[in-house]
Amino acid sequence: MTEGSADWLLEIQRLAIHRNREALVDDASLRIGRGSLHVIVGPNGAGKSTLLAAVLGLTPFDGHIVLNWRHSGAIGYVPQTFPVDPTLPVTVEDFLALSRQRRPVCLGLSALSQRTVARLLARVGLSGLERRPLAVLSGGELRRVLLAHALDPEPELLILDEPTSGLDETAAMWLEETLTTIKHAGHTTILMVSHDLDQVRRIADRVTVLDRRVVAEGAVADVLAEATIRDLIPAGRSRWRRA
Amino acid sequence: MTAFYGWIGELAQRGILPSDFQYPFLIRGFLCVLILAPMLGGLSHLVVTRRMAFFSAALGQAALTGVAIGLLLGEPLNAPYGGMFGFCLLATLTMVFVKRHATLPPDTLIGVFHALTLGLGLCLLVAVTRQFNVHQVESVLFGSLLTVTDADLALLVGVGIVVFALLVRQYNRLLLDSLNPPLASIAGGNSAFLEYFFAVLLTISIIVSLKIIGALLVEALIVVPAAAARNVARGTRNYLLWSVAVAFLAGVGGLVISTKLLVPTGGAVVLAVSAIFFVTMAISRLVGRRRAVA
Repeated sequence: MTEGSADWLLEIQRLAIHRNREALVDDASLRIGRGSLHVIVGPNGAGKSTLLAAVLGLTPFDGHIVLNWRHSGAIGYVPQTFPVDPTLPVTVEDFLALSRQRRPVCLGLSALSQRTVARLLARVGLSGLERRPLAVLSGGELRRVLLAHALDPEPELLILDEPTSGLDETAAMWLEETLTTIKHAGHTTILMVSHDLDQVRRIADRVTVLDRRVVAEGAVADVLAEATIRDLIPAGRSRWRRA
Repeated sequence: MTAFYGWIGELAQRGILPSDFQYPFLIRGFLCVLILAPMLGGLSHLVVTRRMAFFSAALGQAALTGVAIGLLLGEPLNAPYGGMFGFCLLATLTMVFVKRHATLPPDTLIGVFHALTLGLGLCLLVAVTRQFNVHQVESVLFGSLLTVTDADLALLVGVGIVVFALLVRQYNRLLLDSLNPPLASIAGGNSAFLEYFFAVLLTISIIVSLKIIGALLVEALIVVPAAAARNVARGTRNYLLWSVAVAFLAGVGGLVISTKLLVPTGGAVVLAVSAIFFVTMAISRLVGRRRAVA
């Protein structure tokens, strides 16, 4: 991963990722504009999460990933899944303090951590849930806690992997509004994977269609109107499905 | 240390401390428990959170093999630390390496090592028993207070301090890595380093605990305290405190049972910690029902 000077926050050049000799992503190139909300869509197994993992430095790859930092240089990440053992007694405040204080959280939270946790939870509308175990949170609450974690320090690049999958409509709408607010604040570029094409139309600035390689990339209206994409998306369905 | 044991013995004779404290070996055993409880209890809750219970069992078996190797190489019967440290660290690093690079599930791979080390250990023990009486090796297998020396105690103190100092530095990263490795990596943690680091800490802690608990039973004090704590704890701090408290109670209870009933310390500690586990389980059920009713 190298740093460049282009007018883009993130540029992916000829990315290829192989596992067990199978190409999960092949020759994928795209650019993510600074301050934009860029969505990657594609069928299951298209390599969307794998591409995000490469950007996060979690998986080896061939090609180049260029990051053009100007502010914090911080990356926030909301994973697609966050399995929690139902008997695990780790609370929301413990979890949020883990990467925000040097003192082991098992020895207690510092006053600064407590204030930070309270501020983060207020930001995602979960004030008062500090002492609640992670294991008893609903899917929507857990997603909000993960978003709170990703928003501190203020990320220059926020990456979300299917953040609304499994959420009810209210929770999904809240998340969409929050992401739009974050984007309008201007400090954060958002890169997310989604299966929900209606959602893409509502919030995305640009969209990339990935099916192991980049099938299309551009403004939402243009890309989703393309004949080749329409062929891949069954008429009347908002959820992606491999044709 | 003799003066210290004499002073404690005097307090026991005056009735200020229980009469059993007249015996230096029991004082030594109690001091060992005082160090073992926070060390193993502290590691215990991370072992369970990181799902390394089976790994700990395999390490116990590796220690058995390590003892046999140490004795065959001419180490003293009451302190075959070279063999134990050498073989257990080798087994640990190999297990972690293979686990990280193989595609098979971790429990399958650890099962392979578990069987391998046990088989090797048993074969080597046969060779060992040609030189020693098998009963002399029992103390390492099942734990015995009588064989614990001041040097063992000093080693335990030293390792306890090192483990505490290192664990404090990496605790938050280890816990975050247990919950979600990608989030830990993004927060600056190195997943590979954390896995090797914790496995090595666990290994050296297990080795220095063997004289008290025994190679075959040390797993109990690594896993059960946290399992019992999970029944009653809320919050990470509570989880740690309960794990340490359970390990301490089991250690003291085991010492008492071992002394009174003349059974191996390791077995007595396991009985005590298991009893505590079932008590906490019952408490958890009871509290759960009351909450449900309320």
